Amino acid sequence: MARYGMALDYKSCINCKACESACKEENGILLGADKHRIWVGVNDIAGIFPDLSIGSSSFEPSQCQQCDNAPCQEVCPTSATYYDDNGVVRVNPDQCILCTYCMQACPYDARYIDDRTLTVDKCNFCSDTRLANGETTTACQATCPTKVRIFGDLDDPTSEISQVLRDREHYSLKEHLGTKPKLFYLT
Amino acid sequence: MKTEISRRRFIQGTVALTVVGASAAATALSKAEEKTKIVDFGLTKTSFSTNVQEVPTLCEMCVNKCAALARVEDGVITKLNPNPLFPKSRNMLCARGNAGIQALEDPDRLKFPMIRVGERGEGKFMRVTWDEAFEYVKDKMVKIIDEEEDNRSTIGYCAGEGMAEHTFQSFMNKKIGLKNFVNHASICLATTMSGYALTIGGYGQADLENAEYVIMAGANRAEAIITPDTMDMFKRTKGSGMKLIVIDPRFTNTAAHADKWLTIEVGTDLAFVLALTYVSMTEESYNKRYVEENFSDFEAYKKHIIGNEYTPEWAEKLTGIKADEIRKVARDFMAHAPRSIYYQGRRTAWSLQDFQLRRAQAIFSAMGGGIDQKGGIIFGDNIPLGKHEITAPLYTNTLGRIERGKAALIGNNGSWIAWRNTIIDGTSPYPVRALFAYKQNPMLSVPNTAKTKQMLEKMDLVVVIDTMPSDTVMMADVVFPESIYLEREDPIKTFGGAEPSIALRKKVVDAKYDTKPVIEIMRGLGEKLSKPLFEISRKYDEDLQEEIDDYDAESVFKDNGYDLADGFRHSQETINHHMVTSKHGEEAWKTLREKGVYYPNMDKYFKKLTVNNYEYYPEHKKSYSVIEGDLVNESYHDTCVDINEISVLKKTFRTETEKISCALYNLEEQKGVDAMPKWRDELYTPTPKGKFKFVTGRHGQFTQSGTSNNALLLDLLPENYVWINSRVAAAKDIKFGDMVEIKSSIGSIQIKAYPTEKIGNNVVFFIHGFGADSDELSLAHHRGANDNAIIEDKYEAIFGAAAMHETIVEVRRV
Ligand code: SF4
Ligand code: SF4
Ligand code: SF4
Ligand code: SF4
Repeated sequence: MARYGMALDYKSCINCKACESACKEENGILLGADKHRIWVGVNDIAGIFPDLSIGSSSFEPSQCQQCDNAPCQEVCPTSATYYDDNGVVRVNPDQCILCTYCMQACPYDARYIDDRTLTVDKCNFCSDTRLANGETTTACQATCPTKVRIFGDLDDPTSEISQVLRDREHYSLKEHLGTKPKLFYLT
Repeated sequence: MKTEISRRRFIQGTVALTVVGASAAATALSKAEEKTKIVDFGLTKTSFSTNVQEVPTLCEMCVNKCAALARVEDGVITKLNPNPLFPKSRNMLCARGNAGIQALEDPDRLKFPMIRVGERGEGKFMRVTWDEAFEYVKDKMVKIIDEEEDNRSTIGYCAGEGMAEHTFQSFMNKKIGLKNFVNHASICLATTMSGYALTIGGYGQADLENAEYVIMAGANRAEAIITPDTMDMFKRTKGSGMKLIVIDPRFTNTAAHADKWLTIEVGTDLAFVLALTYVSMTEESYNKRYVEENFSDFEAYKKHIIGNEYTPEWAEKLTGIKADEIRKVARDFMAHAPRSIYYQGRRTAWSLQDFQLRRAQAIFSAMGGGIDQKGGIIFGDNIPLGKHEITAPLYTNTLGRIERGKAALIGNNGSWIAWRNTIIDGTSPYPVRALFAYKQNPMLSVPNTAKTKQMLEKMDLVVVIDTMPSDTVMMADVVFPESIYLEREDPIKTFGGAEPSIALRKKVVDAKYDTKPVIEIMRGLGEKLSKPLFEISRKYDEDLQEEIDDYDAESVFKDNGYDLADGFRHSQETINHHMVTSKHGEEAWKTLREKGVYYPNMDKYFKKLTVNNYEYYPEHKKSYSVIEGDLVNESYHDTCVDINEISVLKKTFRTETEKISCALYNLEEQKGVDAMPKWRDELYTPTPKGKFKFVTGRHGQFTQSGTSNNALLLDLLPENYVWINSRVAAAKDIKFGDMVEIKSSIGSIQIKAYPTEKIGNNVVFFIHGFGADSDELSLAHHRGANDNAIIEDKYEAIFGAAAMHETIVEVRRV
């Protein structure tokens, strides 16, 4: 079994939101701006026109961090949230009772409510829509114009993601919380 | 630097008020319900159906034509994925490309042919059969052409860019004989296409995969996506190989990737480029050898630039860019040359001096030697296709374009503004009484909406071919619904460039409604019109009468192309088959149908390099430098370029100098156009104190007004906002989201405000494409504002191209 992770060459992101619409189409996410598994954070620019600090303006594509030590999973009373065989944090809608503890516990605001099933939903690395079909990319990765995302098996030392993480500096979000994200931002 | 940002996003709200049911429900809803409810039409989760097909197609959500693989499960498209085989789209689909399914499923689509029943513009139509619609058009046309004594030009026609644009144009122009055509060029890229064609022999393609230094002025490739430019450049910005200098009064998403961003007074780009040229000339930092061998009239140009004292200090006063910055940019540019590019730009319909601006850019870029060079502007190669020929009848009574003379060089694509204004201001040499519009929405796309409306109101017949009930469709008498791109096969297309290929838009699913592709609409019209129009020609055309005397009517009709449907009777697939196999054989055809893309040796050359990246050609097989001996090339990768139009210009250029042309003396003598780029004060309007220049622009999630009703895209940006400097806004007590009025000399609109430091204190900006008035667009209706309701209908004097950034506006809170 694999241990899937994702490296993000986030400096190449142009905030085009192809990843957001690809995720919606792939995974049948509801319409509505507040219903999404994936988003691009925008840092408002510092400075006064025309002395703006270019470096302060950045785009940070984000989604569920696929924590190895996931607070959402810890608090789930029904085990609806679970780690699958590939280390992907998943939600089983049949067991979700919409207590929303996980939404409060997630430090990354990665979860939302699917109004059709009235259950909590979030990114699952396209496990059911793509990986289960034998595909090796996620929808958000495949569609990206500037190829921000590298998805792959962290346990396989020859995988591209393993190599990139060896070769390039990177950080994870809110590392101090000890959630051990499997999303890595390349610097 | 670390940034940690939550999922809550700026200027992003929801269009949806409530969510109801699943797919099929969409069409069952009444209009009233649709207005308040959103349906998740088209958002079908990919499943595990065993009946899955991957059908190759080309996206038509914008003009780029990215290769897509449609995943069809049990006859339903569940996902559009990028097709990695196409060099031009580099294995990507943007947000709009992904939202193509919504275009198919949109409940507001035009579903069947319609004839107007109410007043024009009222939006009342009745459903008719295709035959009834053709019959109606025939009766009107016969009457009009008869009354105008076979002057076919009394029927005007316009088209937006698209793979079937040529089919429509061939029918209208070659078969029916219409001369009055206008397309998007004069409201988009006419000045830059022509400026580069006349100066360096073609628009070419900026090799952003290899350039080391790029000046991008006004262009915004992060938001107005162009392939492969967007993908190539942003993988290399921010310290990854390309230095990017952005010149723009707005701090755009492109500027966010720049090494240097310089704001500029709107309308002064030409002064900036002339000063760059001055610096390189006086410091002699340009590539002397290249200039010596490849330029014509360089010494004259040098004298002109230096003699007119286009110094950085002079330019600073106009542009607001510090003289030292100008010097530095000029030096850095030449230091990186030939791998440096002054980016040509796309929608360059900005100012009254735009043509000379593009000429000056091209010359400056060329002074570094980066033309027809890796890392510079390249022309590339292309793969030929066979021809599909039609016989065009000759009509002796057809008169020329009505707006000739309103600008120096009005070509076959016309000047939209001059043409329209000629119709309404009474200066037309003969009446234009009808308009056929294909895939264009002039009500929203041409500056001064009120005048476009006035023009349409004057017409005796307005026929619109489109997929959505646009504002222009609302002005139609007859509506022919076109099948959307996923429902049709389009003419095969060859894409030139460093890595040329041929790609096919194949039909993915059957038409959902009673719609047709353009070729079938032309066929239907042709069958109806041929005989009656032939009879009119027979009545008025003496040449034709003579011919009929010599031969007989039946054979003249057949042999001379008066059978208008001939050439349109074969299926598109049959025509494509012929065009491919006549040059490349059956194997290529098979590859195209299975994989969507073909180029010689694709099976050998195409390689997967990484999880995301592919190689299309080995490095030594890429066509960077193609010019041998002279600067003429026949290939343009570009999809918006009318090759015929440019080639006319190219020929003139070719006979003149065969070199990079600093001076166009013939143009000066014959047309009064400045031979060399020259700053003209009288063509520049400084912004009065307390007022603003208005600039418009494009966006990464919307394509003009064409995608304005797309539910998925509206999730990403529900309406346009006007950018206004935050300090100026504060002084006017304008806060984020406040409604403001923007008023120009021709009209006013209301729009929500976005106060920001990303724009200067005398400019306001909002993106184009919003503000539709059509009641039939339930999501787009009155969402945001229409820029062309306030943009004045000024046009530059060379090509009659719109000058969209010359409008002065006032802003107030309402
Ligand atoms: S698709 Fe890529 S470039 Fe576009 S917003 Fe997503 S991560 Fe950024
Ligand atoms: S990011 Fe949030 S939802 Fe995702 S695994 Fe971590 S805690 Fe759970
Ligand atoms: S990996 Fe799949 S589910 Fe997760 S954000 Fe990307 S597209 Fe959506
Ligand atoms: S850039 Fe986007 S909308 Fe345009 S053709 Fe490509 S995928 Fe389609």
